Amino acid sequence: MEKRIVLDLDLCCGCRSCEAACKAAFKGEARIRHGELQGIAYLPLACRHCKEALCMTACPVAAIIRDEKTGLVIRSSFLCIGCKSCAFACPFGVIDAPLVRHISQKCSLCSDRAEGPRCVSACSSGALQLLTDKKIEKHEVGVRFVSRNPFFRRRQ
Amino acid sequence: MKIIDPETKSVIKTICPFCSFGCEFGVVFDDFGVKGVEYLSDGNTGGRLCPRGSAAGVFLNHPRRLTVPVKSGRAVDWVRIKQELKDILAKPDKVAVCFDRNITEEEHQAILGFCKGAGISHIASTYFEPERFFKVFIKRRKPVGLDQIDRAQQIVVLGDPFNQAPMISKTLINWKLSDRKNRLVVIDSINTHTAGFATDFLKVRAGTEPLLLLGLAREKSGDIDLAGTTGIESSIIDEVSQSFKSAENGLIIVSLAFGHTYDPVLFTEALIRFSKFSGKPVMPLFEFIGFPGNEHFGAVYNLIKKRKIKYLINFGELFPYYYPQVLKGVKGLNVCATSTLKFDGIDGLPAVLNLEKEGTIITTFGPAKLSGEIKPASGTMDVKALLDMMGGVTKKVSGINEPELKIDLKERIGAVVEKSTKKTRGYLLLGEKIAFNFMGFFETPQLKINPVDGEELKVRTGDRVYVQSKNGLAEVVVKLSIDVPCGVVSIPAETPDVRELFDFEIHQELVNFEPTEVKIWKKE
Repeated sequence: MEKRIVLDLDLCCGCRSCEAACKAAFKGEARIRHGELQGIAYLPLACRHCKEALCMTACPVAAIIRDEKTGLVIRSSFLCIGCKSCAFACPFGVIDAPLVRHISQKCSLCSDRAEGPRCVSACSSGALQLLTDKKIEKHEVGVRFVSRNPFFRRRQ
Repeated sequence: MKIIDPETKSVIKTICPFCSFGCEFGVVFDDFGVKGVEYLSDGNTGGRLCPRGSAAGVFLNHPRRLTVPVKSGRAVDWVRIKQELKDILAKPDKVAVCFDRNITEEEHQAILGFCKGAGISHIASTYFEPERFFKVFIKRRKPVGLDQIDRAQQIVVLGDPFNQAPMISKTLINWKLSDRKNRLVVIDSINTHTAGFATDFLKVRAGTEPLLLLGLAREKSGDIDLAGTTGIESSIIDEVSQSFKSAENGLIIVSLAFGHTYDPVLFTEALIRFSKFSGKPVMPLFEFIGFPGNEHFGAVYNLIKKRKIKYLINFGELFPYYYPQVLKGVKGLNVCATSTLKFDGIDGLPAVLNLEKEGTIITTFGPAKLSGEIKPASGTMDVKALLDMMGGVTKKVSGINEPELKIDLKERIGAVVEKSTKKTRGYLLLGEKIAFNFMGFFETPQLKINPVDGEELKVRTGDRVYVQSKNGLAEVVVKLSIDVPCGVVSIPAETPDVRELFDFEIHQELVNFEPTEVKIWKKE
């Protein structure tokens, strides 16, 4: 796969613009999930488009396939029967969203938008970025000292 | 209004009309109408938008969009409305005209001209958010841009701008990370996202921010024990004050939530004094700056209570439904209000959204033009069309000034000290600003309770509780959080049922909402 969404936890300010952008674009159901780490940090959960995608293996009707050109794990809305097997199989809990029109919700990195995912464009703090695998390796994530506040996220 | 042709133009570049920050964004159309928003990388915020901006497209085609006049829960025709308005305008001395956020500069001028022609002398704004008082900075100083953040060595932040205007967060975080010497001081009574990034977080006692500001401005406040009242040691106040004053470049960013501090008027005055003392500019973040009337709403409210005003015509969408406790105080009043959305059991005339208008709105960065290329929803009427329908003569208005704020500092300080030291039997409810909870776009707002209080109340995260103040009762969801101190609870004050809980006072004709004592019990 060429690019992935990377989250810099240090920078996320919890405004949930990413979720709103996704929700507004996909008929009221966000495909980026939003978690919270014991009340100390926010954690937007975006699909990782795994190399060995368990959702793809679990799908009984082969509605989830890998796009050979882009490497994205995509879901066909025509084939999906809404059985939620993908939601149970996903180890990151990203697909675990309510069904919309009896179809499970799956991130496609906004393949309908040339500029890239809407969540990344909307991110108000720059915490969500779309990076290539090579850049991810070099990217300094979570190594900086941001806050002195003992209640908040930091890594010394 | 121009009508767009979807075949020739699919993205319309305009200004987000939902707050006064003024982010540039695009509205995307296809053959079936509005598709959504587009994030413009060449826009003034680099394409970044808050949840409200992202939801803009949803609001244009909202299923609850009001497209016909509604009276007593039923649709009525415009002929009846026209006759009613003409009857009302026959007695102009009994009429007050108000407006809030959903109008443009041009429409504001048109309303003023109409009132002058019709002989209506009571004109006021019904926007009661605390940041309304900050508009004094617009009058006196030039608006401060985001570039001021990059130049600063020290920044003092009051409140939580990451939720009021998330667009500021990237600039502020990058500034903080760019140089270890950059000092960010956050003043708030609860632990917020912004406080998490602070070099120094001054956690003041709930509602006492104005006193801390006076302390930072080295104002003599009589024999008041600042440390005892605000909970911040005098030596820390002195150090922050001196360090900020001596910094070559500095900035004060203010973002004040509804019902968060005891006295927003004193807060504003203290802010002006702190800014003068330190010689540093202020960047006030507001959802709306507020158009001037020739009166403050408190004066109109008092006349309504004395039954001298019987009719209120409101151009906008928030009042009176967003402040039920104010509406209760003016029972028997005939309200003729415009609205963009339907509300159960509430009368309204279908209004055009700012996004669908052509005109000027005032933003944090100065005046900005709305494109006017988006077709208004069918059945809605803009302010000018409504005024035309009412008839009458429009006269030219050269200028209008609201009465100046007169502040008795000693009296106001005394009131804040009294309120903050008063022993409460219940919990103190504070208002919070949560950008994502715009018009119920996301889930029910959560009431933050300290885990120690949670144990006492026998509640856990996710439980439903009742919150009761002397103004009303609301059912909310609990979230146990160490962000709030014991005895204090906080909630995003975005919906009418939550806003209703807060106490309000009218002081010198200004409406203030303040932290309020509440009782909490678990829903069985």
